[in-house]
Amino acid sequence: MKGLLPLFIGLFGTFAFSWFGLTFIPNLQIGNLDPQSDEEGTDVYPLPKSGMVERGRRIYAANGCIYCHSQQVRPDYAAYDIDRKWGERRSAPRDYIFDRPVQLGKERMGPDLANVGKRAPAEEQKAPATAGASVLPPAGATAPPAGAGSPPPAASPATATPAIATANASPAASPPPSPTGESAPYSAAWHHRHLYSPRSINDDSNMPAYRFLYEKRLIGDERSADALQLTGSDAPPAGSEIVPTYDAKCLVAYLMSLDQSHPLKEVKSAGPATLPAASPAASPGAGKGAK
Amino acid sequence: MPKMNSAVDIPLKEPSVSVAAGDTEQIERALIDASTRVPVLMFYASAIVWLLIGTVLAGFVSFKMHSPDWLSNVGFLTWGRLRPVHMNVMVYGWASMVGMGTAIWLMARLCRTTLRHPLLLVAGAWFWNIGVLLGVGGILAGDSTGYQWLEFPPYAAIVLFVAYALIISWAVLMFRFRRGDQIYITQWYLLGAFLWFPWLYAAAQFMLFVVPVQGVLQAAIGWWYANNLLFLWLGAIALGTAYYMIPKVIGRPVYSYHLATIGFWTYALFSSWTGMQHLVDGPFPAWMVTASIAATILTIIPVATVGLNHHMTMQGYFPVMRYSPTLRFTVFGAMSYTAFSIVGILISLRSVARYVHFTEASIAYSHLGLYAFFTMVMFGSMYYIVPRLVGREWRYATLIKLHFWASAYGIGLMTLMLLVGGYVQGVSANDPSLPYIESTQSVLPYLRGRTLAALLLTASHFIFAFHFGLMLFGLGRTSSVPTFLNPVEAEGSEAHL
Repeated sequence: MKGLLPLFIGLFGTFAFSWFGLTFIPNLQIGNLDPQSDEEGTDVYPLPKSGMVERGRRIYAANGCIYCHSQQVRPDYAAYDIDRKWGERRSAPRDYIFDRPVQLGKERMGPDLANVGKRAPAEEQKAPATAGASVLPPAGATAPPAGAGSPPPAASPATATPAIATANASPAASPPPSPTGESAPYSAAWHHRHLYSPRSINDDSNMPAYRFLYEKRLIGDERSADALQLTGSDAPPAGSEIVPTYDAKCLVAYLMSLDQSHPLKEVKSAGPATLPAASPAASPGAGKGAK
Repeated sequence: MPKMNSAVDIPLKEPSVSVAAGDTEQIERALIDASTRVPVLMFYASAIVWLLIGTVLAGFVSFKMHSPDWLSNVGFLTWGRLRPVHMNVMVYGWASMVGMGTAIWLMARLCRTTLRHPLLLVAGAWFWNIGVLLGVGGILAGDSTGYQWLEFPPYAAIVLFVAYALIISWAVLMFRFRRGDQIYITQWYLLGAFLWFPWLYAAAQFMLFVVPVQGVLQAAIGWWYANNLLFLWLGAIALGTAYYMIPKVIGRPVYSYHLATIGFWTYALFSSWTGMQHLVDGPFPAWMVTASIAATILTIIPVATVGLNHHMTMQGYFPVMRYSPTLRFTVFGAMSYTAFSIVGILISLRSVARYVHFTEASIAYSHLGLYAFFTMVMFGSMYYIVPRLVGREWRYATLIKLHFWASAYGIGLMTLMLLVGGYVQGVSANDPSLPYIESTQSVLPYLRGRTLAALLLTASHFIFAFHFGLMLFGLGRTSSVPTFLNPVEAEGSEAHL
């Protein structure tokens, strides 16, 4: 090759082409989305999140949760996400407009968390956008019989979406009800115990414990309200208790704020009305879910 | 391995030594090498220190994956911080530094000019080291930005950028004083890398931190950056190096300049459009993913042309790999480039991604690129360049062989474990009747296998670092002839391999 100029123009041109195509054009297309609202301007979704939740997001990012947990629900025609009840509809760009840093994730060593806040017992939901929450019965209400007991019959692996709206609000990966049974799955207390000692919730988990987000202290006059309910080898010595630090509380607040259940106009939700069309594979008995 | 006697006929000489002007050229080369000695060794030594740190971290990360309670009670040792530290140390500490070291030396040789103002480069290397150190400290302290491959907090990124400005200004200077009109293939790749990297880095930093883009676009920028860093920065340096080392060692010109041109421009065009395939079925316009899948498939063109070119150049000279450490590492790396690209094409297809998306298979892919391809080519170049800088020959052929085989088996085992493990993980994830934990459980045996691979690679890197140390300080066996992996018959032993 002779001459520097053609070389430089080529180097510049190829890279500019990529920059233009993969960052500039998408930015025009989905880079300036607004929250959606109904005609009266109410029921706005999504909403920016509060201070504690935003701090929780930074803790989530700083401790690398993203390397094992995604936050995106893929459509039912392409993937298993909705079958696993990680969400009722696919995620859309609008769900993330206030997220910074966005935590879509690239690996799933553990389950998807896009709707983990949604799985909390209803009274505990603190997320700003809880308008859609009433669609679901609280997970805690029906979870114990559904959770670990009998696996769904192999004949109908496509338990599909009816289950969400009707019987089974328990996520497929729900851990067995704890022997002591003090905190409902996905409640704040449950999250704290899970972060402090993942294997007290599920023996097989390979999630690291985040004990550095908790502190052990001596019990003063009476036990703190937010002290963790721990049993067995995790329990602190008599006279002391394990309490979450402010960071841990923020992280749990963030986790409980993760909720994409609000319908979006541009995405077909697998709500009750659209069910028959949306999941032709559903067998008649599927509605019973994990009976 | 081919028969011994077929190798005896091969002229183990550099081509130019036999021409009339040979002596002047040799003196000129010696002068150029001498002028690059301090900065290049500085880059190499730093890179090797980062390599060792990154390797130990890799062992931690791999081990903690299946034994999560090990060293988990302190914040800065938590898995989710060690993993990005390992990744960034390898990419910015090891790969970028060794790549720049090799690129500087190659540029000086190919521009046929001595290196002016080496202090500029030494300062650049120091700043770069400080930048990486700051970034590592930042992540460990809980300051990670949360963007993959860009976890370094902004204060570290600024230092890296200053360092890079020092380094690039030198490269431009050198190109300005080059002799001869012809721009060799290697120089295309190196110039590309040197120009693309700052643009890429600045663009990504700007769009993520200065004027942040909205929502999911951050993830798109992250992948655009990560893939281009892999292809247009590290990949370009490695391909350029292979284009230099292979013809040089066997003493034969590149098979076809025409093929090389096609390979280069299609590489620049197509590989820069990949990346979005990692967002398959995510909350993005489908065309972005499809465009990247198409671009990934099209990378078969540069792979085929570059691979064919290298193969035809090597035709009949493969037995030289028996002797030359440089050639053995470089050819391994060049072949891995093909394997890396083919794996990349396969896992980008939607029908395959259905099984391997969100699994360990993507880790296999990035290690094929960063290690089997890039790092092996860099090892090869160091085996060629370091003796010319320190004026001594490599000490022990046994150490080089151990290094090669531990690296080759280590990365082979790791790739196999992660690809198969990723597939198994994906198959169980795809069955919603199984609890999700089954998917995690199913990959754990393979992750234990990966830890074994990490041990092999650790051994390999410590052996290499030890050998490099002996070279640097002039310790150990001395020799006046180049160190071959296996004894060569009399006439070959004067050649420079």
